[in-house]
Amino acid sequence: MLDINKITVITKDSKKEIIKDLSLKINDGEVHAIMGPNGTGKSTLSKVIMGNYKYELTKGDILFNNKSIIDLEVDERAKLGIFLAMQDPTVVDGVTNSEFLKTATTEITKERINYFDFIKGIDKCLNDLELSEDMIHRSLNKGFSGGEKKKNEILQLKMLKPKFIILDEIDSGLDVDSLKIVCSNINDYLKDNKDTSLLIITHYPRILEYIKPDYVHIMTDGKIKKTGDIDLAFTTEKEGYNSINEVRGKSSNE
Amino acid sequence: MNKIDIDSKKITITSSKEIYIYDEDDTERIYNIEEKVLLKIYHYNVDSNAKVIININTEGAEVEYHYSTISYKDNSFKIEVNHNRKNTISNIYNHGVNILNNKLHFDISGIVKKNIKNCTCNQENQIINISDGDSTILPILLIDNYDVSSSHSAYIGKFREDILFYLMSRGISRDISTKLLIYSLLVNDSEDSEELIKFKNKIENI
Repeated sequence: MLDINKITVITKDSKKEIIKDLSLKINDGEVHAIMGPNGTGKSTLSKVIMGNYKYELTKGDILFNNKSIIDLEVDERAKLGIFLAMQDPTVVDGVTNSEFLKTATTEITKERINYFDFIKGIDKCLNDLELSEDMIHRSLNKGFSGGEKKKNEILQLKMLKPKFIILDEIDSGLDVDSLKIVCSNINDYLKDNKDTSLLIITHYPRILEYIKPDYVHIMTDGKIKKTGDIDLAFTTEKEGYNSINEVRGKSSNE
Repeated sequence: MNKIDIDSKKITITSSKEIYIYDEDDTERIYNIEEKVLLKIYHYNVDSNAKVIININTEGAEVEYHYSTISYKDNSFKIEVNHNRKNTISNIYNHGVNILNNKLHFDISGIVKKNIKNCTCNQENQIINISDGDSTILPILLIDNYDVSSSHSAYIGKFREDILFYLMSRGISRDISTKLLIYSLLVNDSEDSEELIKFKNKIENI
């Protein structure tokens, strides 16, 4: 599915190195989690995979289904099936949620929308996510609460049906009940789409209690320092990130 | 609220109205508001110059002006709102998209004279340069009374890259994302009038 091969990433404006010689391989159907302290490059990694304009890859390659994606535009990566649920979804005033979803669905599928199915699909997603119907007619993310914004990301995910999902701190700003709803929707999606892979980026292992990862990676200073199973997440929470040394555990990346 | 079409240069307003205008040629219009009414004007302009004067001549009258323009060559829009009576309100929204490397100029004046108190005089202006056009905005508030609520804003630039990134991250190409944003900027919440439909077709053909 996704093969990140020894990438080094700098910011385009200040030329600051954020990610250093990082490798990560995620196979079909696997769930990976990356944990790490603030400012260590976790969100940058998610944006680099998506092709964000702020970052430049100076070394290495990113392969998606064995093809390099580093020269592809952001929308071309999305059309391959890569989806980034963002930490702080952007407000787009004047573009309604429904208009946005209609356009995105048409672009992804390259087919004319069957409005009956589309509306039925949205209604089901709204219901699954316990979102009010009116939010589909509101400007994209405008005036949404923190929880609504995160649920709206999952609504888009369910409608656009990606193959590789990145959840960038989807748990931040969510109360316990909302987190359970979001995680249950993601688990249902993974159950229905067995080949879909998931990369969870988080500070805390709480979300991993609801979505069980196959691998947990600890990232500090722009590098993956340690890889293990879910126990690594709980040990790290107990002992702190400072306890992580450069010795790697068993991993799918080895 | 009544709906009328406007052809003449001088328009006297005596009842609440929504006015829809679609221009492709240079125009000049003067509105004289002579009753305590709410006047809403939706002015859709394609590649031409426009000059508008609004005289609010009655206490308690209110005007809302929405100007939207698509510009390919050098064009300008000048609007002057004269608060000639106290307790009057004006809210002016001017949005333009400058497509090519030409000039688009907004000259926007709100005028409240010395003895005219308790007015609201607001303006909000935006021009998006799709290429490297030379756009300018003159947001002018000539307020000569302390008891007035007034604001102005002006933005000239491109669509924000973080917004484009968000839209594109859902598979929407840069061109279509840009068109969505142009719609959101130029097409306001007015009803789907004949003028708006013509204007939407012009957006579609950008």
